[in-house]
Amino acid sequence: MRRLFFRIALIVLTGLAGVAHAELVVVVNARSGVAAMTRNEVINVFFGRNRQFFNGIEAMPVDLDDAHPKRAQFYKMLVGKDLSEINAYWSRQVFTGRMQAPPRLASTEEVVKWVAANPGGIGFVELSRADARVRVVYELKR
Amino acid sequence: MSGLGNRICRRGGWQRLVLLLSSGLFCAAALAAPGDSFTLQGFGTLGAVRTTSDHVEFVRDLSQARGATDAWTGKTDSALGLQANWQVNPQWQAVAQVLSRYRFDRTFHPELAWAFVKFEPSPNLSLRAGRLGTEFFMLADSRWVGYSFLTVRPPGDYFWHLPFYSIHGADASLAVPLGEGVMRGKVFYGQSRGNIPLADEQWDIRRSPMLGGYLEYQLGGLQLRGSYANIRFRNDLPLAPVLAKENNIALPAAAAQYLKTRDTRTHYYSLGLVYDKGPFQAQLMLNHIDQGTRALSDSNAGYLLLGYRIGKVTPFVGYSRVRSSERPKPSLGDPLSNLVAAYVIEDSHSDQKTIFAGARWDVARNVALKAQWDGIRGDSSSLFPYRRDDRARWDGRMDVFSVSLDFVF
Repeated sequence: MRRLFFRIALIVLTGLAGVAHAELVVVVNARSGVAAMTRNEVINVFFGRNRQFFNGIEAMPVDLDDAHPKRAQFYKMLVGKDLSEINAYWSRQVFTGRMQAPPRLASTEEVVKWVAANPGGIGFVELSRADARVRVVYELKR
Repeated sequence: MSGLGNRICRRGGWQRLVLLLSSGLFCAAALAAPGDSFTLQGFGTLGAVRTTSDHVEFVRDLSQARGATDAWTGKTDSALGLQANWQVNPQWQAVAQVLSRYRFDRTFHPELAWAFVKFEPSPNLSLRAGRLGTEFFMLADSRWVGYSFLTVRPPGDYFWHLPFYSIHGADASLAVPLGEGVMRGKVFYGQSRGNIPLADEQWDIRRSPMLGGYLEYQLGGLQLRGSYANIRFRNDLPLAPVLAKENNIALPAAAAQYLKTRDTRTHYYSLGLVYDKGPFQAQLMLNHIDQGTRALSDSNAGYLLLGYRIGKVTPFVGYSRVRSSERPKPSLGDPLSNLVAAYVIEDSHSDQKTIFAGARWDVARNVALKAQWDGIRGDSSSLFPYRRDDRARWDGRMDVFSVSLDFVF
């Protein structure tokens, strides 16, 4: 009896966690020619270390506003970092004159539009938001 | 801004050119079409520091003329920077940064830290020309952006021999994906800028040619970098006026010749390893400096820094060490020359270790509060890192307490 109760509680909790962390995916422009990426390749692009896809197309990452909850979730899942650490990283890049941070948009809907409009566009959105205009190249797993 | 402009205009041709460039940048920005092409960003630090000794003055690096003693001071670490970026088109960009911080002339006079144009013929190749920050050692070009690092200031035993901040010249950097990581290389060449204070005098290092580069590999949270740079000094140390004023001694010709820095070349080697993943971050840096002049000592330095974030707070601990090698005793013709030369050489000696601990608290978006303790445990002969040393009373040991508020906007 007790074991059954635990099992149910576990299932309910996992379900809740799943809702709270709707799956995030990295998407690229459907015509970019990029089919899949590894975690490290995604890190390289989003941190500005590598700005080119394997086929030579310029990678143009796009980010979300600081206040958007998916931004914190994305970096937490990708590199385990807090937004303050991500912002500290970009302040070093900016103030040494090396590079600017990717543009930031207000919603994942705008991210899809932006990625669809730029051949090298790459962003992160909820799985449910990824449609035919974009291609999922990486799924963020905990 | 106009006061700054006037001051810059009174200086040499290079500076005038840079001013022209940057004012052009500002004007162009005003005319630029609305959009994302022009950005104005800033950073700053409000810091306070005190030590437990009044026998030496503690500085952030050798570009500062005066330092902290056993009374709290806001001079050592406080800074304010403002940067304009103008993205002309996807390939061309212009950047200018104005920085105000306590410097060689004991003022906070704002100066044009960098002003350059950047051309990117392909996404992973960047070419820059103008007034540029130099990445002598890893993280050396972001030393004043307190918000970008964990500690109150870059570890002194490693960084304070580095008074060089920028060059008039050019650099090129190329990134190449290798495996799942990225290999990046950079070379730079130019003429250095600035003055290094020596007592009440300035050592003019302007127009000293500098050449350097690095190679690094980054994979996930791991970064490994090796770098090399050299500088050929154009001028001698202002030893004669300093000795005349401080010690009432005329610098003998033989000693002056023995201690010359003009046309000598100093080499800088460094190795850096950074591991930064999840809440954990670690840095290990080592450097070796090979001085071409007999007036300054060769040295080895290094530090290890460990931090672990818990919520909004990141406690850290670290250890740093610097040690210069002994110079052979000068054997010049006359005893006075020997004495003077030995006295000057002693002044460039460093031999100390520092244990430090503290915490960074990210209080709000883009604002961090830090507190840090440094326990410096050195030999009484360790004079090079400091200003205004009282050689008779300095015993090489002191504690340094620092707090800072770092922000970006």
